[in-house]
Amino acid sequence: MNRNLLYRGLLILVVVAIAAISAWPLQDKINLGLDLRGGMHLVLEVQVADAVKSEIDNAMDRIVQDAREEGIATIEARREGEQIVVTGVPPERDDVIGRIRTDFLGQTWDWDRIGERIVFELTAAGRAEIRDGAVRQALQTIDNRVNAYGVAEPVITQLGSSERIVVQLPGVDDPERIRELIKNTAFLEFRLSDYPRAGGGAATREEVLANYGGQVPDDIEILEGDVTDPEGRRIGTQYYAVTRRSVVTGRDLKNARPSLGQFNEPVVNFTFSPQGAERFGEVTGANIGRGLAIVLDDRVVSAPTIEDRISDSGIIRGNFTQREVEDLSLVLRSGALPAGIVYLEERTVGPSLGRDSIEQGLRAGLIGFALVVLVMLVVYKLTGINAVVALALNVVIVFGALAYFGATLTLPGIAGIILTVGMAVDANVLVFERIREELHAGRTVKSAIDAGFAKALSSIIDANVTTLIAALFLFQFGTGPIRGFAVTLSIGIFASVFTAVFVSRWLFDLQLARRQRVEHLSI
Amino acid sequence: MEFFRDTHIDFMKYRRFWIAVSLLVVAAGIFSIFVHGRLNVGIDFAGGTQITLKFAEEVEVNRLRSILADAGVEDAQIQRFGEAGEHEVLIKTPTAEGTEEGSRDPVVEAIDGAFNEGGGTALDLNRDGVEDVADALLAADPDGVAGGGDPETARAHYEGVADALIEVRREEGLIASWEDLASVPGVSRAAFEVLRAQAALGDFTVLGVENVGPQMGRELRQKGILAVVLSLVGMLLYIWLRFELRFGIGALMATVHDVIIGLFLFALVGFEFNLTTIAAFLTLVGYSVNDTVVIFDRVRENMRKTPQKPLVEVMNESLNQTLSRTVLTSGTTLLAVGALLVLGGDVLRGFAFVLTIGIVVGTYSSIYIASPFALVWEQFFASAARGRRKGGRDASRRASGRSEAAARRSRRAS
Repeated sequence: MNRNLLYRGLLILVVVAIAAISAWPLQDKINLGLDLRGGMHLVLEVQVADAVKSEIDNAMDRIVQDAREEGIATIEARREGEQIVVTGVPPERDDVIGRIRTDFLGQTWDWDRIGERIVFELTAAGRAEIRDGAVRQALQTIDNRVNAYGVAEPVITQLGSSERIVVQLPGVDDPERIRELIKNTAFLEFRLSDYPRAGGGAATREEVLANYGGQVPDDIEILEGDVTDPEGRRIGTQYYAVTRRSVVTGRDLKNARPSLGQFNEPVVNFTFSPQGAERFGEVTGANIGRGLAIVLDDRVVSAPTIEDRISDSGIIRGNFTQREVEDLSLVLRSGALPAGIVYLEERTVGPSLGRDSIEQGLRAGLIGFALVVLVMLVVYKLTGINAVVALALNVVIVFGALAYFGATLTLPGIAGIILTVGMAVDANVLVFERIREELHAGRTVKSAIDAGFAKALSSIIDANVTTLIAALFLFQFGTGPIRGFAVTLSIGIFASVFTAVFVSRWLFDLQLARRQRVEHLSI
Repeated sequence: MEFFRDTHIDFMKYRRFWIAVSLLVVAAGIFSIFVHGRLNVGIDFAGGTQITLKFAEEVEVNRLRSILADAGVEDAQIQRFGEAGEHEVLIKTPTAEGTEEGSRDPVVEAIDGAFNEGGGTALDLNRDGVEDVADALLAADPDGVAGGGDPETARAHYEGVADALIEVRREEGLIASWEDLASVPGVSRAAFEVLRAQAALGDFTVLGVENVGPQMGRELRQKGILAVVLSLVGMLLYIWLRFELRFGIGALMATVHDVIIGLFLFALVGFEFNLTTIAAFLTLVGYSVNDTVVIFDRVRENMRKTPQKPLVEVMNESLNQTLSRTVLTSGTTLLAVGALLVLGGDVLRGFAFVLTIGIVVGTYSSIYIASPFALVWEQFFASAARGRRKGGRDASRRASGRSEAAARRSRRAS
């Protein structure tokens, strides 16, 4: 055997060996897509407008409060779209407003006096900052929650530089629960009750309004809360007048965990950070006997009466189930979302569906493979074996490359492999047909093989480049499963060119080398 | 075995006839798809919710329909899914503009209310996850591991037990009866009895949910159209670069032809047009061009070998020479795709269908559309333009092309 033949043989052996080692055993080495292993794929959008709105409200509070502290008692402010319109500031006190803006609002806001009014406007940079901050914080919060819940191998990424986040969670048993968990804004506030002042709720909104003579003061608002029966079912609504400002928020919590209350009912046990504890202690100490409303996402969970000064820890009670306190503790620990989120897309595949798909794909692939092998053997006789070997190596290389590059195999990806099996023999067919033609033209076996490979090469390259172009556009366009298809198709193209041109040529040369003169080729 | 040894079929003879036939079919296709709007657009592009449910027993589609109607879920399409005896049902609902999250919750709640007594407040082994089952077991502690020891160890123990039980559901989709759980390895009799007393086996389970909001649907639609158009342009550019413009035009025409006829038949059969379908069409584009390019490659080779021969004859000769390859490659690919069509399951059926059509029509168009169109293009536009610009450079070929036409005319006249 000549040296050249040996080296080529060794190269083929190395490639196939690497592929086989990378991919074996298949079930451990091949990364299955969510559509095959089961799992959730969520695309969600952070409602940046919420974050902007809450930033405007914060800025407005800040301006009014600080200006009053500076002695501008007549100041009034209201929100108009994305502007804050301030009135009641005499022009000679503009320096105070300027200072508040520089000290507390920074570059986020521009301001200008127009006659009697001062108009604050969000700058483009400020807006971008709020948006990026909101998305970043949402990403972090969701990551915390998913990890705390305990999902293996989650993928949580921002989609480009957009307001969208992609969450991929393989093998989730209870998609409903985790969907709620992620979406839960979990903005917790403690606010003082104003009516009923000693805690608890009122049965109707009218009752609350009547207490204020039909119009609640600016610093008070009416919130709703559920009334539940002992089994935890919602049976009605209660109304609470509470202060607009919160005493402390979820941001001041250090920890929260599920626990049991005095009647063995599930409650959430929380502790405050040092600053939170100080402030909470101060307020509760000064308001013994008054109600304290626990507000979660603008709904009152409960409004117990403050019986003593509370500083560093407390419990949240509210007719929860065990699962609810677990989830609430988890979201409180992981922090509130900076803005609401909306699910734009959801694809959840149960594991049993995925298993069915694998089984069907495998069966279709094996049958397809067998049929193609049969045709090649019938049409090209012994030379067909050459193509069959190339085809088999092709499949090994495709799986090897999938495992080696950590690519994901999806259901359309399986279809891509099956399609590759059908198309991979094309390069062989091109060569074999050419060899036949050359033989008919009266060439010797050896020169027919040489000519066959040489002349078919241009067609093989053109044919495969065009398919590759299609695969590239597919990859560009596609999401998860479709990308998997583009990937297997592309790998299949490279593998089939390698096997049909390099491996198959080597097999021919091997046959030629073993015999001195070859008179006849079984083709 | 050789099918087509040394054939001399005059493929180009009836080129005008075949182009006319194809144009008619394409026109019918365009009318049917775009004017009639016959395409069954799936939720990927239209927006909507698709829920796959598995029931413990056979369920009447009409009963589901009235349950959903009573719950105010409108325009739900309900169909059976998967193999017979699996009791699987697919529910599809459209989504209104502006509501991105779809009808998953109302649909599942309505069915839960109708099938499971008490509306699912109890632990349901067909719906709840390992965590919940482990919680219930930990509270009852049937294996007596919670007392004294480390709580984490006890939790881990019951999570293992819960996982073994839920694995039955992962395998089967739905736990149909308590017997299925009676002999799960790693689950003690006591643990089984606790669950049997406390938990329920719900009458249905949610196998899968797909929801695409209208916003996402719109974006996917735009991206899909763009991908197909750009890939066509990409193909045209490649062939233009590698061959000549007239071949590029021929290949493009053949491919557009295949795509439109593919769409037409796809719409006629009524398969759902979704993301996988777009993938199938892009593959069809690749395959169709692939098939054509091999023929053009041979045409180019023969043009160089015998520059004196009229293009029509060169094309005929090349088509005959590559016929065996064309049929064989189409045949093997068809076998593989056919296996997928028959055995690949519901999800891939539409995909395999498009490819099947693509292979058959693509093979036809490579022979009867691509080359003839390149020739027609040459005769109608390019030859005149080039004649004006470049003078006599390509005169011989062009002249022979003309003389062939002239000869035929005179033959007909005589």
